[in-house]
Amino acid sequence: AEFAMSIMEYSGGAVLAMTGRNCVAIASDTRLGSQAQTQSTDFEKCFRITDKLYVGLAGLATDVLTLSAQLDFKHRMYRLRENRDMTPKTFSAMLSNALYAKRFGPYFCEPVVAGLNADGSPFVTCMDLIGAPVDTDDFCVSGTCTENMYALCESLYRPDMEPDDLFETISQCLLSAVDRDALSGWGGVVHVITAEGVTTRRLKGR
Amino acid sequence: EFAMSRRYDSRTTTFSPDGRLLQVEYALKATDSAGSATGILASDGVVLAAQKQSSSKLLATPRQSEKIIRLDDHLLCVVAGLNSDANILIQSGRLMAQRHRYRFQEPMPVEMVCSWICDYKQWYTQHGGQRPFGVSMLYAGWDECHGFQLYKADPAGTYGGWRATAIGENRQGAENLLKNEYEETCNVEQALELAVKVMSKTLDTTTPTADKMEFTTVTRGEDGQVRIHQLTEAETEALLARVEIAGAAAGDA
Repeated sequence: AEFAMSIMEYSGGAVLAMTGRNCVAIASDTRLGSQAQTQSTDFEKCFRITDKLYVGLAGLATDVLTLSAQLDFKHRMYRLRENRDMTPKTFSAMLSNALYAKRFGPYFCEPVVAGLNADGSPFVTCMDLIGAPVDTDDFCVSGTCTENMYALCESLYRPDMEPDDLFETISQCLLSAVDRDALSGWGGVVHVITAEGVTTRRLKGR
Repeated sequence: EFAMSRRYDSRTTTFSPDGRLLQVEYALKATDSAGSATGILASDGVVLAAQKQSSSKLLATPRQSEKIIRLDDHLLCVVAGLNSDANILIQSGRLMAQRHRYRFQEPMPVEMVCSWICDYKQWYTQHGGQRPFGVSMLYAGWDECHGFQLYKADPAGTYGGWRATAIGENRQGAENLLKNEYEETCNVEQALELAVKVMSKTLDTTTPTADKMEFTTVTRGEDGQVRIHQLTEAETEALLARVEIAGAAAGDA
């Protein structure tokens, strides 16, 4: 049966980023759907820009793919010209600008940026589909079950977690949140970013 | 030889009576007096070498090579000629390579980049009032279709695939040396040593030093990823030392 819903909820999905002590983690579920019908169970929504910068995109799947390709393009051009990677702050500004450029015909995507600054401190930010940014120092969520994710993050989050602890916390938040959302779930993927590198783990959902 | 040709110089759209495009030839002459560079195709990679020029001690040390320039993660170019002209070509080459990646979600094939930039250069040889780009370029890289490749392109936009070639100052001498000493089965290490000999010839020196020449290699890692590596000062000194020893040993034999 068909039922009308917001375009932001068509594909379904959840993205979540959380800061730790000199580390940051970003996670997403792996469901892709056409409203109620699940189309794929391995559709990841976190994309690597550099080993110290990831962006998670929740929203309409076609825009998730297009926007991530565009961001990759823009970052590669920057890196060729400047001979260095973009800082998380600069990348977020660029992303915000790219979204606003489509102010009257936007990408149906609400991104979450997670990265490490040059001094090793964690950086997270999220924005709405037309680029209004929210800079926080704890966690950012986006997708079809943000209320669930906010509730879990507010309860489980503590500042300055070590990478393993951060992984456990973010995983619990994500899995429990998507369990109460018909449009998200079917497993998850978590990237934990530290100065040494990125550890990627897949979560088994239900 | 050029006495009559002054009448046909001023517009690139005009052929001279003997069928030449003089502006294009002058552009090539401009590149022949630029810093030299050479490219050598090895069985397991491509080696590029270029002259390091410093017109004044007061010039700040460049942060990146001024002659060997990345166009994408799998692809480099080497320039000889007017740097300002080269910058335009490099920027448009980089943009094209990224647009291709965006459209096809895969790296732009090496020859395609070369050919695209050549078409861009050609435009300026067929439209009035504009001069050609005064740059000769080498393109080196790896793609899935044809593996390691080396191309040379002139200001007219003509290009060809090469096993070993040179641009810039004294390129005739370099090309002769390569004709005699290049071996198709060489590996990157052997190609590097040959490149040292070539650069020593074009710079007309018997004592090459790391502050006069630079070397970059394109190879593939065990994971299949293309690896572009500019030799550090220490690695360059080690390479030059190896060639000197080999040369001395050969001399003694």
